[in-house]
Amino acid sequence: MRFMDVQVGDELPSLARLVTREDVDAYAEVSGDHNPLHRDDEVARRAGYPGIIAHGMFTLGLLGSCVVAWTEDPAALLRMKAAFRAPVFMGETIVAGGRVRALDAESRTATIEGWVQLDRDGLTEYPVKKGEVWVRLE
Amino acid sequence: MASEAPKHVPPPGDFCHWSFRLTRLANGAAAGSVPRVNTTIEGKVYPEATFEVGAEHVAAFASIVGQTVPGIPPTFLTLPEFDVFGPIMDDPELALDFPRVVHSDQEYVWHRPLTLGETLTVGSRIASIRERGGHGFLTIEVSLTAQDGGPVATTFATLLERAAG
Repeated sequence: MRFMDVQVGDELPSLARLVTREDVDAYAEVSGDHNPLHRDDEVARRAGYPGIIAHGMFTLGLLGSCVVAWTEDPAALLRMKAAFRAPVFMGETIVAGGRVRALDAESRTATIEGWVQLDRDGLTEYPVKKGEVWVRLE
Repeated sequence: MASEAPKHVPPPGDFCHWSFRLTRLANGAAAGSVPRVNTTIEGKVYPEATFEVGAEHVAAFASIVGQTVPGIPPTFLTLPEFDVFGPIMDDPELALDFPRVVHSDQEYVWHRPLTLGETLTVGSRIASIRERGGHGFLTIEVSLTAQDGGPVATTFATLLERAAG
């Protein structure tokens, strides 16, 4: 993506992902995060969930991939912040999305508001909320 | 509890986005019976570690987070960050009650892109630790530095220890 082709309000193409137990196991292996909330249904149920939940960082990773698919360059990212506000259960489909909120021509920087959402029982939940990503474009 | 005089109250911007209302010292009845976060260790620095940005590790991570563009996924930083969490989580001075802890906020700052094969020095410190309404708020700052001493990235993970009971 070139800076000259971007306008405030542009939407990033959304990125959807069905979350499976295999994904969460794979994330645990590669990250070394073996918190039982992500591995053991019984522990997760005692914490009040229907079963294991995905790692927040797995979910945030999808937002990263959504932004990178748009910039076409992972090195474009300068800063990223987000809040985790809902769990993700197995078998749910999460959707990462974003929108250009501001542009700075001098630094060729775009500020993107981002999120990861899902539909649960007819309601939209935001596992990743208040995402902000700063990218520098060519 | 009168002894719980607020100190170093963070600016409202810090935690104003919490999705539930936090009333300072709302849960005073729990004081004495329930350990609170240890706010005296703010600024504590933990031993440095090293982390190698390995090609296979990067490829596996890219596949899991669904990155289709070549290059190191931005949130790969989570891996060296998480590597140094162990000694912090186990720190008896911090004494977190892990079942009550959730990851609430995350921030990354890239000073330059990571390079495949490079070895990073990973430093960590308690950037802030606060208590509000019986909840503990802990921000861990992790600094990634190149072998030449140049800054590579900084991460901030904010954990919430929910009020007990």
